[in-house]
Amino acid sequence: MPKPLRTALLLAPSAILMGVFLIGLVRLVSSSLMIDGQFDITHYVDILNRPDYVQMLGRTLRTAALTTLFSLLIGFPTAYYVARYKGNRNFLLLLIIFPWLVSIVVRSYGWMVILGPRGLINSFITWTGLVERPLRLMYNDFGVILGLVHVLCPFMIIAILSVLMQIPRSLEEASMSLGGRPAYSFRTVLLPLSLPGILTGITLVYLMATGAIVTPLLLGGLRNTMLGTEIFQEVMHFFNYPKAAALATVLLVTALVVVIPIQIFERWLARRLREGESH
Amino acid sequence: MITRLIALSVLLILPLPIVIVVLSSFTSAGYLSFPIHGVSLRWYGEFLGSADWLRVLGVSAVLALIGAFVSTAASFGAAWAVVRHRMRFGATYETILLTPLIFPHAAIGVIMIVTLSSLGWLGTFTGLVLVHCILTIPYAYRPIVAALRKSDPALEEAAASLGARPWRTFWTVSLPAARPGLVTSFLFSFIISFDEVTVTLFVVGPHVMTLPVQVFSEVLESASPVIAAVSATLVLFTTAIVFVLDRFIGLQFFVERD
Repeated sequence: MPKPLRTALLLAPSAILMGVFLIGLVRLVSSSLMIDGQFDITHYVDILNRPDYVQMLGRTLRTAALTTLFSLLIGFPTAYYVARYKGNRNFLLLLIIFPWLVSIVVRSYGWMVILGPRGLINSFITWTGLVERPLRLMYNDFGVILGLVHVLCPFMIIAILSVLMQIPRSLEEASMSLGGRPAYSFRTVLLPLSLPGILTGITLVYLMATGAIVTPLLLGGLRNTMLGTEIFQEVMHFFNYPKAAALATVLLVTALVVVIPIQIFERWLARRLREGESH
Repeated sequence: MITRLIALSVLLILPLPIVIVVLSSFTSAGYLSFPIHGVSLRWYGEFLGSADWLRVLGVSAVLALIGAFVSTAASFGAAWAVVRHRMRFGATYETILLTPLIFPHAAIGVIMIVTLSSLGWLGTFTGLVLVHCILTIPYAYRPIVAALRKSDPALEEAAASLGARPWRTFWTVSLPAARPGLVTSFLFSFIISFDEVTVTLFVVGPHVMTLPVQVFSEVLESASPVIAAVSATLVLFTTAIVFVLDRFIGLQFFVERD
């Protein structure tokens, strides 16, 4: 068998799967732009004309941005601690990877048990007598963002950790021994070198937060919808597929507008770091 | 100091909700609460005594097995073409294989509805398999391609020059060298597929349901502790897979860059 034919046969299964996906993507966008076979942007005009939709878009962006920010703020120190840990690092990895691989529906449900009116926190504070009635810890933005950060921050930790493990400790020590203060050596050595991992983490967490359904629905309820939960309701309760397709396209655009520039920057950065190595 | 404080709290809190769910599944009360009121196995009895729940568990397990097998095989083919045949545009092809990762899940869900309804597979098991293969390919590809890049093609050339036929070389030299990558891909895809809920909930139907999606819709509608027992079973599956991954490949794999 000639080699090009063998290559084609090897590629066929994965190419078919990706082809199905990419054709679906094109059909999604085109179905949102068609009404009765005619080009029509009515669905988009409707979305932008409804104040509740505009508000929901704002809530989605705000929630995703806050989730990404908090994941970074707690993810970086955690990754740093694990990367520099001298004892049994495998156990620490287990504490990150095991929860990461447990279904998000189970983890979100776990937060319902913790935050709910008869949950861990409320049982404790009503028992101590600090408050008389249980606090409302979920079905609000607090619950949603807490849940999303918990569900998504392993992506951030793993992305940053994989970069930090490659930065030799000696590099930091060198900068310190040359008289750099910790903050200075963080800014000039650690941060630039770990930037590729940070960018990967930001990309993944932002993407998953904008398109999340399960966590916002379980911890936020049906009232304060986000793009993902709104799409879910259009499909499951109203069977309005063209509207869902238009919302999904809006979701794609809001995600890619942020993600593609980050990806381009990351590639540029990777090239610069590689050039730096060869000097 | 502050780094350590944040890190230790994060490492402590990450497994916390999972531990709470498992503990609360042993309640004897008819409602969900924590701390639990009385210890019993009644909710496990209800779960394992229900034909519906067991059928859904079966669907999830078979789906994850088939999906993981197809994804691993398809990724192996792609990785072989990219690494061993040094195909043109290999890097571009790799980027395409990873695209499902850079799309928000809710959008993938609608894409899958559009795709499956045009194929007539919406709400069918075949449709679920297709969706899960697409979703797991990015996870399955990386371990295999890493294993192939590590293994030395000179070994295959040596086998061939000693007179081994191509198929024999493949079975006795190439495949064993790629085995750690294949096992990782399979286990990784299996657990991603077994746990997937966000995209799957768009494509399940009245006749096919998966365990995580069933848990999700039950949580939305009721607060019965049987959900905790089912969730604990999902956790048990994950524990088993993580255990095997840790033993055979090492968790270090997840934080390595290629």
